Amino acid sequence: MSTQLDEYLEAEIQSLLTDGRIAELGITVHRREHQLVLGGEVESPLRRDEICRQINSRFPDVEIVCDIGITRADAPSEVEEIS
Amino acid sequence: MIRIAAVGDVHVDKDVLGRFRPALEELPDRADVLLVAGDLTRHGTVEEARCFATEFGGLGVPVVTVLGNHDHQSDLQSRVTEVLTESGITVLEGDATVLELHGHRLGVAGVKGFGGGFAGACASNFGEREMKDFVGTTEVVARKLQDALLSVQADALVALTHYAPVPDTLLGEPLEIYPFLGCYQLGRAIDAAPTALALHGHAHHGAERGRTPGGVPVRNVAHPVIKQAYNVYQLLSEDVDLELVAT
Ligand SMILES: [Fe+2]
Ligand SMILES: [Fe+2]
Repeated sequence: MSTQLDEYLEAEIQSLLTDGRIAELGITVHRREHQLVLGGEVESPLRRDEICRQINSRFPDVEIVCDIGITRADAPSEVEEIS
Repeated sequence: MIRIAAVGDVHVDKDVLGRFRPALEELPDRADVLLVAGDLTRHGTVEEARCFATEFGGLGVPVVTVLGNHDHQSDLQSRVTEVLTESGITVLEGDATVLELHGHRLGVAGVKGFGGGFAGACASNFGEREMKDFVGTTEVVARKLQDALLSVQADALVALTHYAPVPDTLLGEPLEIYPFLGCYQLGRAIDAAPTALALHGHAHHGAERGRTPGGVPVRNVAHPVIKQAYNVYQLLSEDVDLELVAT
């Protein structure tokens, strides 16, 4: 039986991402037709790849679209004056 | 003038080593102090704390932090604090530190904080023991922040928390999870003291700017919000630096 793309799957993926080794609480999961779209930002490409690998291995028949970005870490160019 | 660099939610582990360092090396030219608003690590392990100390230690400016919920994940927060302290990083939890910068005294009071929610949509100290423990924790940590803020004599006072003191800076997060992202009691503590700036993290999808009901500027410096290694905020802009006058 193929995995149903429903709210329970979303919840299960959220708990997979937060409970386990990954510890990413800020990943968004949206259903788009037969695909699951992952969004948000993480601190390294390794983490992004690990998220997709973990979901793939738990739900091999679910098609994942990974829109997760890596947060930039450049020095700022501006100063904000607080008043 | 005091320039404060700030970031939160850097979630350091081995895979992040070196990512922040080039921008951090520029800090002495750009700011007088670095404040880090919690979630320093991924799982709060000692190894990750060492990684944070390697990446954020020895910078040429003082580094002051609070812990976040991630730094509590392994129940090793005391060890994490020790590792950071041994590396010269100040970790605040219900206390304050005063830094002398260019002849100005910058007071920083910090606490991790906790959830609970905001006016009209908050948990109350009522009913089951578990609920009373939850809100009781919120009230205790907010009281600690207020006491720490009021204990400081400084030219400029900054409140540093992980959880948010206002809902303004949560904009972009699902409304349903606001009570897990912050609480109004932290805002009330900040307003009870002459606070010049409140910094927090935790809300990765939130907004940068807000203000407490008492008018204190609030900045959410979670790394995914500011999208750079740190932001720089300038306080006491009109004040003449005593050091400059002396030289
Ligand atoms: Fe975080
Ligand atoms: Fe957090």
